Amino acid sequence: MSENKKNETVVIETNALDFYYNPQTQALKNVNIIIPEKMVTAFIGPSGCGKSTLLRCFNRMNDLIQGSFIKGNIRIHGKDIYKRDVQLEDLRKSVGMVFQKSNPFPMSIWENVAFGPQVNGITNKAELNNIVESALVQGDLWREVKDRLHNSALDLSGGQQQRLCIARTLANKPDIILMDEPASALDPISTGKIEETIEELKKEYTIVIVTHNMQQAARISDYTAFMMLGELIERDETKKVFTNPTEKLTEDYITGRFG
Amino acid sequence: MAQKKQSGNNYVFTAGMALVITLGMTAWVIIIILFKGLNFFWPGDLVLVDMENGDTYLGEVWDEKVSGNLEEDELQLKIGNRDLYGLDFIWLNERDIARKNYLENAVTLEREEYGNFYGFISSIHMGDTVYQNNLADFFDRAQEAHDVALSKAEQIREIQNELVELTQPSAEIQREIALVGISLEANTPVASKKVELLQKKLSEKEEAIAPQLASFNSTLEKLVVEDRNMFLEVADASGKIKKIALSSIVRFYQPNEMGVIRKSVHYIEKIWEFVADNPRESNTEGGVFPAIFGTVLMVLLMSIAVVPIGVMAAIYLNEYAPQGMVVRFIRLSVNNLAGVPSIVFGVFGLGFFVYVVGGSIDQLFFGDTLPEPTFGTGGILWASLTLALLTLPVVVVATEEGLLAVPRANKEGALALGATKWQMIRNVVLPNAMPGILTGLILAISRGAGEVAPLMITGVVKLAPSLALDWSFPFLHLDRKFMHLGFHIYDVGFQSPNVEAAKPMVYSTALLLIVIVVMLNLFAIYVRNNLRKKFKTATF
Repeated sequence: MSENKKNETVVIETNALDFYYNPQTQALKNVNIIIPEKMVTAFIGPSGCGKSTLLRCFNRMNDLIQGSFIKGNIRIHGKDIYKRDVQLEDLRKSVGMVFQKSNPFPMSIWENVAFGPQVNGITNKAELNNIVESALVQGDLWREVKDRLHNSALDLSGGQQQRLCIARTLANKPDIILMDEPASALDPISTGKIEETIEELKKEYTIVIVTHNMQQAARISDYTAFMMLGELIERDETKKVFTNPTEKLTEDYITGRFG
Repeated sequence: MAQKKQSGNNYVFTAGMALVITLGMTAWVIIIILFKGLNFFWPGDLVLVDMENGDTYLGEVWDEKVSGNLEEDELQLKIGNRDLYGLDFIWLNERDIARKNYLENAVTLEREEYGNFYGFISSIHMGDTVYQNNLADFFDRAQEAHDVALSKAEQIREIQNELVELTQPSAEIQREIALVGISLEANTPVASKKVELLQKKLSEKEEAIAPQLASFNSTLEKLVVEDRNMFLEVADASGKIKKIALSSIVRFYQPNEMGVIRKSVHYIEKIWEFVADNPRESNTEGGVFPAIFGTVLMVLLMSIAVVPIGVMAAIYLNEYAPQGMVVRFIRLSVNNLAGVPSIVFGVFGLGFFVYVVGGSIDQLFFGDTLPEPTFGTGGILWASLTLALLTLPVVVVATEEGLLAVPRANKEGALALGATKWQMIRNVVLPNAMPGILTGLILAISRGAGEVAPLMITGVVKLAPSLALDWSFPFLHLDRKFMHLGFHIYDVGFQSPNVEAAKPMVYSTALLLIVIVVMLNLFAIYVRNNLRKKFKTATF
């Protein structure tokens, strides 16, 4: 756990966060982490270490799991998101999420991208068209699909589908984008494209990415957090974590001694 | 041997045989129904059988008992002429038969009453004109005379209808007078005043329509006399003469001189009559159109009722209700509901829908016609709702399966974009679960269309006076009784006075019911497959 040295704005901050799937199963133990604005923060760690669970706390996707609960708190822009007066829909609109397996809806490409704005109340067709176009441009997909916006999204390739999911998230104009192993199911070329897209996006968005691929974390992230068994072991600038980690556990994991 | 045991070939064989037996029996049933059901409409040749003892019989060969030994062979003839002989069928020993002849001028007359007449036309009577059967174009003349008689009969029916319409207002006034007579204020001065008023109105009305009534009556009388004077004189096999009114004949033909093409035309006409006409002779002749109509309308009403409720229940169970003991218990109960005997649903339908709901509706909205029930008696609405209840578990279970098949990733994706739960269900879950819902509908239709027992106590009748859908307001009469193909099979096959003659009708009706169920299913399957293509799951 390191302090924020460069005086960057903190977007997400957790305070003594515990997460339980049920009273017997604790998935996160006393996690204190800060996520700085317009940076890429990567979560690494062995399977089952709680990195995805932590990610899914940030947009409260874990609420879907019956019986789960948290202790401690999470603040986004200083506001506790687990407070009762928080509108879940608004939270998820501003904290977008891209999943491990691309999950386009069985609709057209246009409808997929317009889904978020539509459920959030935008009905003007011209406005929607603009949003769809700019989201697809940002998601680096516009060139490939601009002539077939009304074809089924399921006809796209795997990499294109994942970039569509990124564009779909961007259409909501979020602050933060959570990515849960977004490239783990893709071939190297598609992975490269996704990474380029992330590179572009971090100029405007705060990105938190979970990855199993340590090279990927090293390539794209500004900060890296290493987790194990539900605990945050170390969080620092990526360069430092990969070259000169403070903790022995981090070094062992990065050098491939376990995990 | 040891190797055989290991490879499990015995079990493969047993499993295969089980499949063969299942398919074989299904195929056997369908082949029998197809053969017997379709054979019914083919005009059979008429055989004139001379017996050794001098008796003669004319009829269609219905059945044969062939034992290989000519002495014991028997022949079943349908000799018709129920009004003359009392029975339609006769078994003859082959050894007693002297001769069989197929005479070209043997005629089958299909009549409105008493079934078929088999015999020979000896003369045609059209008022004072009489044609004898020595004329060259005798049979054609008979057909022409028949057409004339049928159009006369149609005229009579039209005039009768107009008469009913004409006298309708005065009949209503008479009804009002009768109502005053039995009301609470009967025998009071107020009542007698009312009656007086109504009487006056009545006599005015009657006076107004009197001239028209007289002219109608005289035309009618003339037509009836004309109709009575148009008849055929026909002779049966033994030469006995009988008069048959031309207007009471549906059609007549000489099967022995018809070629294959003319028989085929006749065959198609008969099938059309079967599908599109009303039944005759306590359902053993004519068509089954009202039953087809009733079956299809009932299935549609049932679908309209069962799908929304079943789907909503499944959505609540699957998406909203917290999973636990209670939901598991409810799910178990719903599944068990599918195993309750259908007659139990029928009894429930009678007790709840007909008596409680229907009775209350009558009290609230149709109080003026009580004690004559409107909705408080069996009708197509109550029968459909009872069947909807019966098929509800099927729809709930199939829909739940469809909901479970919706990828979790899609649901999470929608929620992660800020959709509310209902928006997610509406836009992502329901379209994805549509194939499952339609599977449920298909199963419900299959189950519902063939169900008879619950209908028998909730509104099905042997013969419905009118369809549930017609041109009089409010067009869809949900309170009416209706006919149903399944019940028709039971009624014709087991409740009719002339079971032997009705037997082919049972096969034809069964065939028709199967065809209708298959067509309803094919339609639903077509829709489902189109949806499946649209929602094929994403692949990498």
